[in-house]
Amino acid sequence: MTAHDDGLPNDPEGIRLMIHALVDGELDAAAALAVERRIAADPQLAAEHARIVAVQGAVSRLPRPDVSDAFLARIAAIGAPAAQAPDQEAQRRSPSSIPGLTVGAAGGLRRSAEARPSPARTMPRARRFGSFDWRAMAASIMISAVLASGATQWVMVNNVADGFAAAVASGHRRSLLAASPIDIVSSDRHTVKPWLDARIGVSPPAPDLAQDGFALIGGRVEVISGRPVPALVYRHREHLITLVAEPQQSGKATEPNDLSSGGFSMVHWSDGAFSYWAISDMERPELDDFVARFRKAAV
Amino acid sequence: MPDHGADLSEKALAERFGEVVLPHLGDALSLARWLTGNAADAEDVVQDACIKAHAGIAGYAGGNPRAWLLTIVRNTSYTWMSRNRPRGMMAVGDLGDLDDMASAHGTSLPDEDGPEASLIAKADTAALEAAIVALPQPFRETLVLRDINGLSYREISAMLAVPIGTVMSRLARARGLLASELGRAP
Repeated sequence: MTAHDDGLPNDPEGIRLMIHALVDGELDAAAALAVERRIAADPQLAAEHARIVAVQGAVSRLPRPDVSDAFLARIAAIGAPAAQAPDQEAQRRSPSSIPGLTVGAAGGLRRSAEARPSPARTMPRARRFGSFDWRAMAASIMISAVLASGATQWVMVNNVADGFAAAVASGHRRSLLAASPIDIVSSDRHTVKPWLDARIGVSPPAPDLAQDGFALIGGRVEVISGRPVPALVYRHREHLITLVAEPQQSGKATEPNDLSSGGFSMVHWSDGAFSYWAISDMERPELDDFVARFRKAAV
Repeated sequence: MPDHGADLSEKALAERFGEVVLPHLGDALSLARWLTGNAADAEDVVQDACIKAHAGIAGYAGGNPRAWLLTIVRNTSYTWMSRNRPRGMMAVGDLGDLDDMASAHGTSLPDEDGPEASLIAKADTAALEAAIVALPQPFRETLVLRDINGLSYREISAMLAVPIGTVMSRLARARGLLASELGRAP
């Protein structure tokens, strides 16, 4: 193979990537010209170019899924202001070329309301305290708060380097001292998850481990490093466990890592989709038990 | 209307949802379909993604709305799959395996005679779809984002949080695997 001085890579792999880039319209005029010259001069490259064009064309001509009117109406209903009775303005701004949208939107609303009993606004206020035994909870919180705050302090001072862990610890402690450790009170993951979804658009796995002795009692939103992250709250006897789930983009799965100190237990792990931080004033083996059961149920 | 302020901003957000999300539902369904492997699941995933998009619409800061929505769809797809079919997610090894897999197919040897372009062009839809389904997930995802959703290398690189060079080599591998699969004598 002769050397070229047109600024293009000279290895076969490199020039092949350049041909893909040419087909994809990613090259500027000068580079495109140089690649085209190489292709014109080399039958092998020309054959490769023809193959790439053929594959690219075939894939891009594949039939697309239909967006059915019913589906479009369902999605449009998500964006309808306040999801309330007919709103002239909202209907006018929706694409008018869609037949049956006006009728469909109402149907879609009903349907999505049935399918997911969620967004915050559709939840009756009364439900927040419903059948939940608040007094027992409050008593256990006070006990936990007293026990945990000293330990948390210790972690805060000693682990300052790990800002995220410190923020999780401080969120946990604040939750114990606040009037309520949870913003959404529910043992039903089908209520907690949509609530988190609707608030911050992220919804981690939230298995109910009540049979294992770890009851899901609700969730809240933590703000850590300036970003809202979902937190789930589980109860084990008198102890509360805060589980913060930080969404990851193409993150790596890691095994549980012990960040506990001074009788204060914290475990960190990730499953690729979320990075988890479990914190509690329980003994370490008990928290490990929780982590193992959660991971088993969440996978 | 007495409470103009709140009402208007909510309306503005709803309008933005209409402009940013609704026109790209077809792309959203395509991506979810190829990531999850079937059309019915794709609708569920896209609906979930749209709820998230709606909740986060105030944070949409311009740029390509399709890329913005597809990023949410992609994340939702993986969350959904890790919840609903843990097995499927485990099928993908690490990228070292992928390199071996790709070179085993001869796709990193451009000097080797590949199949005739005309043979590829004649392949029927079912064969092509089956070949795409069989691609390792990172290759399939890159191919779909580029050739079906029409995102640029830069947009894909930002979405997947990988360098542009990785996007390019994954795309080349994906197309190479499809070419050798479709170019096989019938």
